[in-house]
Amino acid sequence: MQASRARLFKEYKEVQREKTADPDIQLVCDDSNIFKWTALIKGPSETPYDGGVFQLAFSVPEQYPLQPPQVRFLTKIFHPNVHFKTGEICLDILKNAWSPAWTLQSVCRAIIALMAHPEPDSPLNCDSGNLLRSGDIRGFQSMARMYTRLAAMPKKG
Amino acid sequence: MAIEDMYGRSDEEYYNGGYDDEYEDDYDHDPEPESDDDLSCGKAPSCRVIRKESLLAAQKEDLQRVVDLLSLKVHHARTLLIHYQWDVDKVFAIFVERGKEKLYAEAGVTLEEKAEKPASDPSIEVTCEICFEDFPAEQTTLMECDHRFCNDCWTEYFIVKINDGKSRRITCMAQKCKTICDEGKIRDLVTAKDPNLAEKFNRFILESYIEDNKRVKWCPSVPHCGNAIRVEDDEYCEVECACGKQFCFNCLCELHAPCSCVMWDLWLKKCDDEAPTVTWLSEKTKHCPKCHKIVEKDGGCNLVQCICGQPFCWLCGEATGLEHTWNSISGHTCGRYKESHLKSEDSVEDYWRLTHYYRRYKAHIDSLKIEASESKPKILDKVCSLEAKEFLQLKDFSWAMSGFYRLALSRRVVANSYPFAYHYFGDLFANEITKEERGIKQNLFEDQQQQLETNIERLSMFLEEPFANYPEDKLMETRMKIITLSTVTDDLCKKLYECIDSDLLVPLQQTTHTIARYRSKGVEKASEL
Repeated sequence: MQASRARLFKEYKEVQREKTADPDIQLVCDDSNIFKWTALIKGPSETPYDGGVFQLAFSVPEQYPLQPPQVRFLTKIFHPNVHFKTGEICLDILKNAWSPAWTLQSVCRAIIALMAHPEPDSPLNCDSGNLLRSGDIRGFQSMARMYTRLAAMPKKG
Repeated sequence: MAIEDMYGRSDEEYYNGGYDDEYEDDYDHDPEPESDDDLSCGKAPSCRVIRKESLLAAQKEDLQRVVDLLSLKVHHARTLLIHYQWDVDKVFAIFVERGKEKLYAEAGVTLEEKAEKPASDPSIEVTCEICFEDFPAEQTTLMECDHRFCNDCWTEYFIVKINDGKSRRITCMAQKCKTICDEGKIRDLVTAKDPNLAEKFNRFILESYIEDNKRVKWCPSVPHCGNAIRVEDDEYCEVECACGKQFCFNCLCELHAPCSCVMWDLWLKKCDDEAPTVTWLSEKTKHCPKCHKIVEKDGGCNLVQCICGQPFCWLCGEATGLEHTWNSISGHTCGRYKESHLKSEDSVEDYWRLTHYYRRYKAHIDSLKIEASESKPKILDKVCSLEAKEFLQLKDFSWAMSGFYRLALSRRVVANSYPFAYHYFGDLFANEITKEERGIKQNLFEDQQQQLETNIERLSMFLEEPFANYPEDKLMETRMKIITLSTVTDDLCKKLYECIDSDLLVPLQQTTHTIARYRSKGVEKASEL
């Protein structure tokens, strides 16, 4: 447990120091619990998520970094690899391809990459996966775009 | 000749004539002449017992072959063989066809032959990328892939992996690095912290030879005897472990030839008392397409990965790749509906068919049990009392026990021929054999089966006779009957196997129904390594 705390503390310092290094990711640690983090990530450009800001919740296990953190979307998102209701993410590095060399910051980057490159063959959101698998790129994009507008963009006025 | 009268009662001629001269006097001294197809009898043993103590020796040969050919270190050879499931020929084939690099890369072997690194100067401090602490180089470990982390982080990582059951494929900690860590370094680091776990690690590594190897399997005895069996050529065979457990090597079930493993599996699902377990397994688990271990999905999407590393689709069970792209479906179309070749049977009719076959199967299995528990001691008694009678000219009574063993072997064959018939003449091959063809084959098969069955019952009847109290001439007559009937049943078993194999199974396109070869002497005992 000590090791995970120490490592998270190091990551925290790193995040504070490089706050401006990656403008797409804003990682915040819970005030009272170093095992709870949230992140705000910007939807990558040239995707239907462009312009949206998505909130992620991190729950870090005590065995971290030997075990991966649990991450889910708090913001609703229409994406084949994200569960539409729970926000659960299906991403190999969060499961069997996890390596202790990943950090919370690099996990965020991997999630942004997943947003740009969905894997329709392992869908958690079947409707979304089926649109892509059947080749209806336009249908997929308009759905994803709609949910980005509804859920991930600040309301005007 | 008298023999004709014994069996050829009325018009039923159930055995082949022509045994009169051959077997009349000296059955015991001269066992049946070995025919050509019964290769296993004269040759070197085709299966061996691997005990805890001989496990290391058992794999040495395979390791050495790889070490010699590729001039590798032993631990690299082991990593290769673990990845390629101890199939030395496959390793060589990939080496020849696709080259050394590809062979190594797929298995996660990295060969680094660099000179001393500047970082290994103990005075230089390096930052561990896991805990972000600075360490003198001597407190860090460099793997062959050139990734260096501190010893504490490595150790913790190894402990987690070993406890997760992943000892055989511990990859480097670096992101996306697929290199398998050097087992020697793992052992040293883990030993320093937890010697017991290091011991476990050693065992897991050694046992890969059994668990990941097509030719080696654990003996399925309960409680487990600790042994494994290695077959030298044919996986479709029946073996007996040193502990006495007899089983089908291919599917690890009880002996079921001449019924194929697939049929037996279906049969058990229909008839087994432990149906809930079987149902649970078939509902909740799938077999890995690479190593055939049972995999349970514990969450996440339908792209699952077996502990051996093979990814596959949970929906259709087919092997897939790990890579996916924006809109291509790499060899993966399981959503498309394919017409199943197993049509659901009319359940009422099927029920009656099943009852018919099951009753007969069960009757023979029950007789087998009763004969083993009750008739066997009786026969032994009779032999004892006969041996005590010194005035008899006949001194050798081994024919009684030989007859009994023949009875037991043949009973099992005839019993198992019922589940075979249930599946073969049911709808299992409905799209391969026409109804007409099936009818002809069924007649042929049932003729053979009936001949065997009748002779088995006669053999059983004669063995039950109180021949110990017979006068010598009648005793001789009974002996003769038992000897001849033994030979006849053996021959009929062989014929039934031949009929099933060459007339019924070989013409099929489905090649999954291979059966073990018939052995007159019964199940082969695995010899010591």
